[in-house]
Amino acid sequence: MNMSNLTGTITKNRVLVVFAFLLIFPFLAPYEALATDVLIYGLYALGLNLVFGYMGVLSFGHAAFFGVGAYGTGIAMVHFGVHWVPSIFIGILMAGLTAMIMGAMAIRTKGIYFAMVTLALAQCVYYIVYHMGELSGGEDGLTGVSLKTVDLGFTTLNIIREPLSKYYLVLGFVMVAIFIFSRIINSPFGSVLEAIRENENRAQACGYDVKLTKWVAFSISGLFCGLAGALSAIHLSVVPIESLHYHQSGLAVMMALLGGMGTFFGPFIGAMAFLMLEDIITTMTSHWQLFLGAIFMIFVLFFPRGIWGSILHWISRR
Amino acid sequence: MNDDIIRTENVTMRFGGFTALNDVTASFPNGQLTAIIGPNGAGKSTYFNVLSGAFPPSEGRLIFEGKDITGTPQHKFARLGIAKSFQITNVFPELSALENVRIAIQALEKRFDFWTPRGQLTDMEHRAADFLDLVGLHTHKLKQASNLAHGEQRALEIALALACQPRLLLLDEPTAGMSPEETMTMVDLICELASDRTVILVEHKMKLVMGISQHLIVLHHGEVLAEGKPDDIRNNDEVRRVYLGQGKH
Amino acid sequence: MNGITLELFVMQMFTGLALGTVFVLMAVGLSLIFGLLTVVNFAHGAFYMVGAYVGVFLMGVTGNFWVSLVLVPIVVGTLGLVIERFLVRPLYGRGIDYPLLLTFGLALVLVELVRIIFGLEGQSFDVPEVLSGAVNIGVGYFPLYRLFLIGVTSFIVFALWLFIEKTSYGLIIRAGARDPEIVRILGVDISKVWLIVFAIGTGVAGLAGVLAAPMRSVIPDMGSTVLVEAFVVTVVGGMGSLVGAVVAGMLVGVVVAMTSLFWPSLADLSMFVLMAVVLLVRPQGLFGQKGLMG
Repeated sequence: MNMSNLTGTITKNRVLVVFAFLLIFPFLAPYEALATDVLIYGLYALGLNLVFGYMGVLSFGHAAFFGVGAYGTGIAMVHFGVHWVPSIFIGILMAGLTAMIMGAMAIRTKGIYFAMVTLALAQCVYYIVYHMGELSGGEDGLTGVSLKTVDLGFTTLNIIREPLSKYYLVLGFVMVAIFIFSRIINSPFGSVLEAIRENENRAQACGYDVKLTKWVAFSISGLFCGLAGALSAIHLSVVPIESLHYHQSGLAVMMALLGGMGTFFGPFIGAMAFLMLEDIITTMTSHWQLFLGAIFMIFVLFFPRGIWGSILHWISRR
Repeated sequence: MNDDIIRTENVTMRFGGFTALNDVTASFPNGQLTAIIGPNGAGKSTYFNVLSGAFPPSEGRLIFEGKDITGTPQHKFARLGIAKSFQITNVFPELSALENVRIAIQALEKRFDFWTPRGQLTDMEHRAADFLDLVGLHTHKLKQASNLAHGEQRALEIALALACQPRLLLLDEPTAGMSPEETMTMVDLICELASDRTVILVEHKMKLVMGISQHLIVLHHGEVLAEGKPDDIRNNDEVRRVYLGQGKH
Repeated sequence: MNGITLELFVMQMFTGLALGTVFVLMAVGLSLIFGLLTVVNFAHGAFYMVGAYVGVFLMGVTGNFWVSLVLVPIVVGTLGLVIERFLVRPLYGRGIDYPLLLTFGLALVLVELVRIIFGLEGQSFDVPEVLSGAVNIGVGYFPLYRLFLIGVTSFIVFALWLFIEKTSYGLIIRAGARDPEIVRILGVDISKVWLIVFAIGTGVAGLAGVLAAPMRSVIPDMGSTVLVEAFVVTVVGGMGSLVGAVVAGMLVGVVVAMTSLFWPSLADLSMFVLMAVVLLVRPQGLFGQKGLMG
C-alpha cells in the first residue's frame, strides 16, 4: 500500500481514525486536563473551519459563539439550577441564535469585510455580557459552574476527582459532533461550501443563493463552537469574560491554520500542537505570546497549508 | 407561446454618470441562435450581463417567456432556465471536472441536503459525465479543472451552464483567447447546442458570427443600431460604416 | 436625566469630537492602507500602542513633548516600512486573508515585545505644561489638551488631503487605488507606493497612540480596544474612503460621548448599535462605493 492509498483509507474512515486516536490520547498527553482542552479547542477550531477552511470565509467573531455557549450553559446551571445536560443544549442553541443574528448582518458584506464586521459584532457581544451584572458575573466572569458527579445509570463518574472520567465524558459529546460534522462536509451542502470557496460568482450563476448558504453555514458553525464553549464551562467550572474577547476568536483561527484549514484533521492537530507547545513554553518563559505570534507568522508566510495540509500536499506530489 | 424567448424593453443601464446602455429594446427569437455584435465599447458585455441577470437594469424591463423577471436575483436565473458562460473562464479551479458539473446539477435539486454522503450521488455523477461527453471532455473527468487547457476550461464552463437544463443559453465571447483549432471545435459545439435550445452569443468576431447565427443584434454606443438576419445586417449601410470606420475585427 | 443643560450638551459634543480624533487618525490609516494594498492591518492597534510607548521613551530621553510628537510617527512609520517590505510584501497575490492573518500574529509579537521591554505596568505620559488646564469656549471650560487634539487631527487630515489630492505623488496613489496595473504600465514602481502608504498609515497610527497617551492609560494591551473601535469606524465610514473615515470617526466619537451623557451604561455598546444600523441600511458604509461591499 503506497502513501496516497493510505491517506485515502484514512480519509474514508476519518471519524473512526479520530475516535481511535482520541480514545488513547489522554495517555499520550502530559496530563488529562490538557487532553480535555485539546478536545474542546479542537472542536472549537473544527466549527470555525466549516466557514474558514471549507467555505473560504474568514470570521474573527467565533469567540461570540464559544463564549455564549459557555455562558448559556453556565448561567442555566448556576442561576436557574438546570440539569447539566439540558444546560449544554441551552448553550448550543443560544450560540446558534447568536450566530444567526451576527451572520444575518455580516453576510451583507463581502470578502475581507466579513472578518472586520464579525470581529466588531463579537466584541459587541462581549460588552453585552460584560454589562449583565450578576447574571454573567461581569468582569470577574461566571463562577460556580459545578458538575461533580455524572450518573450514567450503570456507573457514576466522579469527574472532579477523576480527570480521566471528565475527559471521556467530554469525548462523548465531541465524538457525536465530529460525526455530524463529517456528514455535513461530505454532504451535497458540503460541496456547495467548497463551490463558494472556489468561485463565489460561478456558484451564484449555477443557482446557489450564496448569501443564504453563507448564513446557514455560519449558523451551523456557531452551533459547533457553542458546544465547545458549553463543554469548556463544565471543564473549567468557570467562564472567564476573556472567552468572548476577539483574542479568543484569534485562537480558533490560529489553530485551524496551524493544523491545516479546510482539512478534516487539521483543527484537532492544530489545537494539539498549539496547546502542547503552550504547555511546554510557558514552563520556561512567561512570554509565550511572543513565540505564538512568531510561529503563526512563519506558518502564514511559509506553511499556509498548515501541518496536516502540508503533509497531504507532500504525499500527493510524490 | 411567444415567438421570442426573451426581450428587453427600454433597458437603460447607468454606472455613476456613464450610460452604458440607452433605451435598448430588442427581442430574441425562440429556438434560434442570436448573436449580439458591435465594436469595442458598444455595450455588448453590459447587455449580456443584463440578459443573464448579473446587472439589474437601471430602467426598463426584462421579459422571459412572457414573464417580467426584472430585478430577479442572479441565483434564480439558473432555476428559471437561463444559464450563462462567462467571458473570463469561470469554473471551480481546485475541483475535478466531474465535481464541477455535478455541483452545477446539484444546484437544481439538493441545495440544502446536509446528510446524504456524496458517494451516493451516483445518478448525478452519471448525468454530469454525460454533459462532459457532450462538450468533449470525456477523457478528462477526474482532472482538476485548473489543470485543463484553456479551450477545455471553456468547454467545461459550457458544461456547467448546460447542467441546469437551460432553455436559454447565454455565451459571452466563448472563443476568446482560443487557438484556431480550439475555436473550430467550439464553433461546432455551439452549433450542436443551438440545434435544440435557444442560444444568445456575444461575439466580436464578425466572420464567425455571420456563419453560424440566424439572427443578429448590432449595438453601437449603447444603442441598437440594427437587428435582423445575417444577410440584412451584412448589407446594412450603417453597420458597414460603423465596422469599416473601426477597422477590421 | 435631570440637569442636562444646553451648555452641558455642547460641552459633551466637544468631548465627543476630541474622542473622535483618535478614531479618525486610526481609521484614516487603516482605510488608506486598505484602499491601496487591500490589506486589513490587524496590527494597527499594535502600532498605536507602540506609538504611545515610543512617546513615553522619547519623553524620558529628550524631556520634550514636541520633539516626541514629531519623532513618534517617523519611528513608527519606519517600523511599518520595514514590516511591509519584509513581512507583508511576500504575501501579495496569495489571497486577501493572508496579510490580515500575518498582521494578527505581528500584533501578538509587538505587544509581547513591549511587555518584555517596558513591563506589565502602565506608564504615565503627562500633558505638557502649556497644554494643561482648560479654556473657556463660551459654554464652559474645556480641557486645552482636547482642543489641541482636535487641532492636530485637523492639521494631519488636511495635510494628508493636500498630499493625496494636490501632489503628483498623491496622483499616483489615487491611480494606484483604482487600478494598480495602470500605474505599473505608466512605469511607476507600485510596490514603492505601497511601501510609502503603509508607512504613512502606520505612522499616523503611532501618532494617534502618543496623542491618546495622556488620556488613556499606556499599557501593552491598549491597542486591542482601539483596533475594534477603528474597525467599527471604518465599517461605518466605508472602507477605503478617507472622507468616510473622518466623518465616521467624529460621528462615533460624538455618539459615544452623547450616550455616556444620557445612558452611561450603554456607552460601550453605542458604537456597535451605530454600526449595526449602518450595515442594515447601507452595508457599503456611509461613503463606501457600492462595488466594494454588499
